[in-house]
Amino acid sequence: MSGLYRPSSYWTGWLLLGLGFGLLLWFIVAWWDQSEPASSTQKLLIGLGFLGVVWGIARVAQQFVDTPNPVIGFTPAALTLLALMVTAEALLRAYQVPPGLIPTPSRVLSTLLEVRDVLLQDAFQTVVLEALVGYLIGCSLGLITALLVSRYVFLERGLLPYATIFSSIPIVALAPVLVKMIGIDWPSKAVIVAVTVFFPMVVNTFRGLTEVSPLSLDLMRSYAAGEVQQYRWLRLPNALPFIFNALKLGTTLAMIGAIVGEFFGANGQGLGFRIQIEAGRFGFDIVWSAIIVASVIGIAWYGLVAWLERRLTGWHVSFR
Amino acid sequence: MRISPNLVPMLVVALVVLALYWPLMYLANIPVAQRALDTGAALPCETAFECATQLRSPVLPSPQQLWNGFGNLMFPLNSPNAIPINAAVTAFETVVGLLLAAVVGFFFAIGMVASRAFERALLPWIVASQTVPIIAIAPMLVVLLGQYGVQGWLPKAIIAAYIAFFPITIGVAKGLKSPDPMALDLMKTYNASHWQTYLKLRFPASVPYLFTAFKVAMTAALIGAIVAEISTISFQGIGKMLAENSRASDVVAMWVIMLSSAVLGILLVALVNWLERLLTPWRRTGPVAAGPSRPAREGVHSA
Repeated sequence: MSGLYRPSSYWTGWLLLGLGFGLLLWFIVAWWDQSEPASSTQKLLIGLGFLGVVWGIARVAQQFVDTPNPVIGFTPAALTLLALMVTAEALLRAYQVPPGLIPTPSRVLSTLLEVRDVLLQDAFQTVVLEALVGYLIGCSLGLITALLVSRYVFLERGLLPYATIFSSIPIVALAPVLVKMIGIDWPSKAVIVAVTVFFPMVVNTFRGLTEVSPLSLDLMRSYAAGEVQQYRWLRLPNALPFIFNALKLGTTLAMIGAIVGEFFGANGQGLGFRIQIEAGRFGFDIVWSAIIVASVIGIAWYGLVAWLERRLTGWHVSFR
Repeated sequence: MRISPNLVPMLVVALVVLALYWPLMYLANIPVAQRALDTGAALPCETAFECATQLRSPVLPSPQQLWNGFGNLMFPLNSPNAIPINAAVTAFETVVGLLLAAVVGFFFAIGMVASRAFERALLPWIVASQTVPIIAIAPMLVVLLGQYGVQGWLPKAIIAAYIAFFPITIGVAKGLKSPDPMALDLMKTYNASHWQTYLKLRFPASVPYLFTAFKVAMTAALIGAIVAEISTISFQGIGKMLAENSRASDVVAMWVIMLSSAVLGILLVALVNWLERLLTPWRRTGPVAAGPSRPAREGVHSA
């Protein structure tokens, strides 16, 4: 807790980690070209290696708990990912699981390099045309609606209850209808994404605009601030953390919406289309590659919004 | 029961939407009908205006078509192709998925609250698992589980749980961290053990957060179950009906199924609401501000 580590604990963590990774890697190298399942002794060694890695990470992670630098603080998470990959590789090789069922991580990575051009084209269609366009439209419409709803009590009473009801509706069921209505090209998926991100945006922004401290409102009133000034200097800044919450949530929803939309018809491009087609052909190495591309983009997008949030709402309590 | 002040405005909005529906429907369908007439398709109507309500694949179905569609898909109630039984199957998968998600979510949440090392090592990947299109993994997961003899509703429940565990994890973790530091200090002065702190302070404090998380997770689980049914071979469920009618281009049926799944979603969330009221009666009488993240519907009007 204090930043003083007992030297023994410091070293045993890394030692266990090294030992575990050593065992796993040694097995992978030894079994690289084999075609029969490994013996039970070797499986036991894999188990031991996994235990060593997990225990090692648990110990090592303690040292990073109070690291302020985000890159160094990420080390335990990076180790976890590495451990999972290596263990999966070892287990898949030990049990000789056919690549048509689950491809090994190394195989997926090499496929990713091979088909990267196709996947990048797919990603352009899915992310830029469908997810991003829909996200921008849906979020701005949600923002405008929330502003209107917070201004007019009638809309608050008449529209907002519907927004909360709509948030418990499975939007995927909308996807096939919209694809049939608008066509199989990218605009139909953009509309699905826009609808998906719209309701969280409205509900969150509204909360931010209205959950204002009554004291601040009184202060605005005593300054004789107009409606516009009130929104500019009090309500909108107060809503920013809520808006960013919805924006972050929306990145995930947008990716899922675009990909699911493509399940119901696409013009021969797109990550969702690729995933569906290749899963049907048992080309799971390509499917996993597409998933990696989609998730890397998803994480980057989320990170971008989170970064913007820190820039714009650095004053908020949760960052202090 | 008190009549909500929202009732009249809500009804007005609903009426406006309904009144706008007819003109919109004609506006959307007449060009399609005109094109169909121009190509000389055999239609049981003369003018584009008449045909707008009778298209086989309308852009917006007419109320009459929707009504007939409901009649066709609802009855007979026990038919394997009717909505009731399929909706029940999907609801079952969703609820089982939610329960699985609750177990996993609690595990991660307690781990994260108890150990910062655990949080450092796993939280980025728990968040990342949500930015991944989890839905894409569904077909593979089903093939995989099928290899080991897990078939039918269980794979769908697992996929539902996969999507739903995240809101539960975050909600429960937030709830477990929510007790006042003063209250935690008090537990310490009473010399309470770790377990006692959890049982007597942290768990009760997390209840409001828990039900909010369950409501979000219920919708997520329903989406997961439907997508799992769509993207895998399944013989029952709302998702299977959607996929089938999408392939058959039966637009009216798709509208009907969409509306029914909306009703199903509302009912499932209402079930959580009802459970919340049943299990936490003290929250109704106490001040509304008991939980900072009140469900939106309660929080909206307090401002």
